[in-house]
Amino acid sequence: MSVREPLLKVDGLTVEFATLRHRLKVLEDVSLTMYPGEIVGLVGESGSGKSVTAMSVMGLLPDIARVAGGSIRFDDTELTSLPRRAMREMRGRDMAMIFQEPMTSLNPVHTVSFQIGEVLVEHFGASPAQAHAKAVELMAAVGIPDAARRALDYPHQLSGGMRQRVMIAMAMACQPKLLLADEPTTALDVTIQAQILDLMRSLRDQFNMAILMITHDLGVIAQMAERVVVMYAGQVVEEGTAAQIFDSPAHPYTRLLIRSIPSARHKSERLDAIPGSTPSAHAFPQGCRFHPRCPEAVDRCRTETQSLHALPEGRSSRCWRSLEALQESVAAS
Amino acid sequence: MRQVPVIGPIRRGLRSDFALRFRRSRNAMIGSVLVSIVLVVAIFAPWLAPYDYEQINMLAIWRPPGGEHLLGTDALGRDVFSRILIGARVSLTVAGSVLAITLTIGVTLGMIAGYFGGWAETIIMRTVDIIFAFPELILAILVAAVLGTGTTTVIIALSLVWWPGIARLTRSLVLSLREEMFVDAAIASGTRSWRILLRHLLPNIASPIIVRASVGVGFIIMAEATLSFLGIGVQEPTPTWGGMIRDGLAALRTDPHLALFTSLALAITIIGFNLLGDGLRDLLDPKVRDR
Repeated sequence: MSVREPLLKVDGLTVEFATLRHRLKVLEDVSLTMYPGEIVGLVGESGSGKSVTAMSVMGLLPDIARVAGGSIRFDDTELTSLPRRAMREMRGRDMAMIFQEPMTSLNPVHTVSFQIGEVLVEHFGASPAQAHAKAVELMAAVGIPDAARRALDYPHQLSGGMRQRVMIAMAMACQPKLLLADEPTTALDVTIQAQILDLMRSLRDQFNMAILMITHDLGVIAQMAERVVVMYAGQVVEEGTAAQIFDSPAHPYTRLLIRSIPSARHKSERLDAIPGSTPSAHAFPQGCRFHPRCPEAVDRCRTETQSLHALPEGRSSRCWRSLEALQESVAAS
Repeated sequence: MRQVPVIGPIRRGLRSDFALRFRRSRNAMIGSVLVSIVLVVAIFAPWLAPYDYEQINMLAIWRPPGGEHLLGTDALGRDVFSRILIGARVSLTVAGSVLAITLTIGVTLGMIAGYFGGWAETIIMRTVDIIFAFPELILAILVAAVLGTGTTTVIIALSLVWWPGIARLTRSLVLSLREEMFVDAAIASGTRSWRILLRHLLPNIASPIIVRASVGVGFIIMAEATLSFLGIGVQEPTPTWGGMIRDGLAALRTDPHLALFTSLALAITIIGFNLLGDGLRDLLDPKVRDR
């Protein structure tokens, strides 16, 4: 395998939110690497820090948030110390984002062509006519039929799926190297969802664009992602290829997560759910953050803070058991 | 191959919908008719006036309405009708100027406060609070005392009193819009702040501000008349409705026509603008609009 330069390297990222009384570490020691043209899935329950991670990369953290440690490198640029203006110039041009709610992500008072074209006007100083022409082209590229005419539509005239296509066209306008997709299909129905995922994959193939798929839908991850990063309570708990994650999850949380997917083959009375709920950043448990909900937890889990262990074949897991299992297997051989 | 006719979506322009609703709204229609009359009168006053508004005729003082002078004459024998027409011009000039100034300042500062927050917001909104703490008239009189009387003074004084309301409204509208996803989406695609303010936020807050402005005109005209009534506004010989009402008040028992007709003109104008404003609110606010 040739040595590739990573496109995005998040290393030990810690993000704090300043609330009235506390400084909450919403993210702690989050590391994540993406290579050009790679689709990485970022999975986790609500409140696990998926979106905050994406926001940190985009430089869109709210005012109360602060990067307290770690680094984010994008193509040799350190983003955590980048001035606002330079960061703004990178957004949309080098990295773009699409959101969960295509219904509200478009401005109701402008035509879609205006909104797609605006990115080009902003970053390349395109004239309105050029911007419009390019917008029509992009709309055709994302599979909007009769693009020339739909370009003059207002957002309320389009369906949810069409709007998400428009959002993708907007994100693609400058051919960014990285696309952050924050729950891009959650608000869409299943058939449209499949179409949008297909579209994203084909755009990836065409433009060699890396995609970070943020979702809690493991089905989407299974279809799309080559590598998967699992987050829990503001930390990365497991990382590996999609095959590794689904076939032999190393972390107990991942195991439970995968068991909770309804299966068409194995009928069971009830869906397997993970008991309890994600802890809030006010009260992350001591020791392993997952131990209160972990069926395999022992005393060691309650006291010992877990770090992310590297496992063979590029995997990693934040559970001492997976490291021990590895050591045993090494000793046995 | 047979050509299949393409049936496109029915395009009903926003404008034509608006025109239809406008014609169906009684308030908006009556208001716009009244406002149009006042506007026409104000613009063409010098040509419409039968007499020179400054011409003093001591042989024809306090003439009752009718005859040579349609609405009679005042204490100096000046034609009341002509003076009311010119007075409309003065009132609307002041109202228009105040509106232009307060909208520019109020919307700009309100948007900055609402969008950027931080110290800019603190400074702007505390200033607004301070101005709101004074009774409007007292503040206007204060300005007049400092600057001396005159048209410019009236405009400055009323602008000072009016912009904070616009700024507050704008800020609150921007604050709620700021939470919309499309603003985040624009930020995420690297759009400059001024562009977001001008292209994304301004069009979305325009209609409530237009409503506020049109209702405001009535109040500004009223305030201008009050200042003139108190003698700190536009000065003689330029006729103002406020000043004429004051002059007529002294002779109310014997010759009521001066105060009466001037008040009527003032009332019609204010009612016109208020009806138009109410009508526009009903039309432009989707929460009130029912069809």
